[in-house]
Amino acid sequence: MLAERPEIEDFLYREARLLDSQQFEEWMDLFTDDALYWVPAGHDDIDPSRHVSIIHDDKKAMAVRIKRLRSGHAYAQDPASRVHRLISNVELGEADDERETLEVTCMMLLVELARHRQTIHSARCEFSLDRSDGRWRITRKKVNLLRNGEVLESTPFLI
Amino acid sequence: MTHAIEDLIQTGSIHRSVYTDPAIFDLEMERIFNTTWVYIGHAQEIPEPGDYKTTLIGKHPIIVSRLADGSVTALINRCRHRGPIVCQHERGNSKHFRCPYHSWTYDNSGKLIGVPMPQGYGASFDREALGLVKVPRVAEYQGFIFGCMTAVGPTLEDHLGGITRFLDAYVQTSPTGKIELFEGTQKCGYNGNWKYQLENGVDPYHVGALHLSAVTPEAMQIYRQGRGCVIAMDGHGVTDHTDWGPMPVDASLSGGFNLVIFPNLIVLRSQIRTVRPIAVNRTEIHTNVVKLQNVPDEVNLRRIRDQEFEFGAAGTFFTDDLEIFERTQEGLQSGAVEWLVFSRGLDREEMKNGYMTGTMSDETQHRGMYENWKQMMMGPKTPALAAE
Repeated sequence: MLAERPEIEDFLYREARLLDSQQFEEWMDLFTDDALYWVPAGHDDIDPSRHVSIIHDDKKAMAVRIKRLRSGHAYAQDPASRVHRLISNVELGEADDERETLEVTCMMLLVELARHRQTIHSARCEFSLDRSDGRWRITRKKVNLLRNGEVLESTPFLI
Repeated sequence: MTHAIEDLIQTGSIHRSVYTDPAIFDLEMERIFNTTWVYIGHAQEIPEPGDYKTTLIGKHPIIVSRLADGSVTALINRCRHRGPIVCQHERGNSKHFRCPYHSWTYDNSGKLIGVPMPQGYGASFDREALGLVKVPRVAEYQGFIFGCMTAVGPTLEDHLGGITRFLDAYVQTSPTGKIELFEGTQKCGYNGNWKYQLENGVDPYHVGALHLSAVTPEAMQIYRQGRGCVIAMDGHGVTDHTDWGPMPVDASLSGGFNLVIFPNLIVLRSQIRTVRPIAVNRTEIHTNVVKLQNVPDEVNLRRIRDQEFEFGAAGTFFTDDLEIFERTQEGLQSGAVEWLVFSRGLDREEMKNGYMTGTMSDETQHRGMYENWKQMMMGPKTPALAAE
């Protein structure tokens, strides 16, 4: 068995906590160099080469996004959003013991406070994890927002 | 309203109530969105017979349909019986629309084709007169479809004026002369007036300031060279970067032009943005991403990835724009300061090619749009609106 659920839950909680506490560099270090960070628009299952997404970042784009947030000139995050993420319904999916990869899904309830407004996002998240170099890392994070087809308020924080 | 409409727009300054007064907003719906050409969609959104999309013209819910003969019609999305919208989907394909309440059914040209138990209405019931109400005029230019709630008035081409030349050039970015759209729409909202987005769509002055964290050093360099110009063009706004070269196929920030086609369409790099005024302090922006024909796949992929990264709901440029729109709405609540300053370039703008033209960071294009706004808002019959 590649992993027991508590170990994976701890990993997901840590991923959420790093974002909530704005430890963006540590968060990015959870991702492999060829990772994808994806928030589809409109529907959960779209072809991102034909259909627009909300976020579709490779690691280079993630780094640019984080550099901007750190620049002191990202006015949409001045002051920064305060965010709480609740992770639940963790399910371990397909595992490849040989390649040490694992598919995981969970539910996320994200509460953001910005400009004196509280915004709630519910999402089903999909993670592709890889332990081939000795620690769990994310090769793909996909956040299927419940409201991904609706009019969204400005979302300058990392989801 | 405490000021007459014509007093709200002065040379080089605009009164705050233009953005904050609910009565002004209601009048905008009546005198602008109910009278002029309003963008309602692109032909590529409804390519096949039976295809439809729903949208708004001001406060009117609209269905835009492609009919069997290939023509496009726009209908008020409101059952003639008791009033529900008859189509609740954003997109689809259907030959008819049925109101589920009492099953009144219309074909996609609006004709009433089904009424259960019609005998109950008696002899005077005129089915022919009870079709979905048509938007009086629908016209298309280079695939951009507009609707007009008045049956008479300037044609679409008259309304677009010099902008037609830019729309021609825009579609020519595609080697076939035709553009396509990526699937899906970026939809964002902000608590602020709709006209902030119109100003912002042609506002090079803010790029090096508000977007300092997002703009690349190379693009910043281009902006700071001060080449290119801003144009007040037939009531619309243009920032023309022609000195930097034509519209680049990868839609990078290094050439081309931005168009704000009054009152609700913005064409900018890879984007077609539709501005939806919801209330005096609430606006929605729906953005489609333009795909070119006969270019390498990686070119189109670059276009969509850059658009998402910079201008989606999480976009590195757009989130700062949305932020400043909300901060502006907050600041303008103060009646202690009545006027906004729109005087940049007044001393140096000049007529070129028949249009008032300013240097790249000027506000000439904004002054032109607000003169247009003022003329429309003064209305055809009441040149001076009395204070209420």
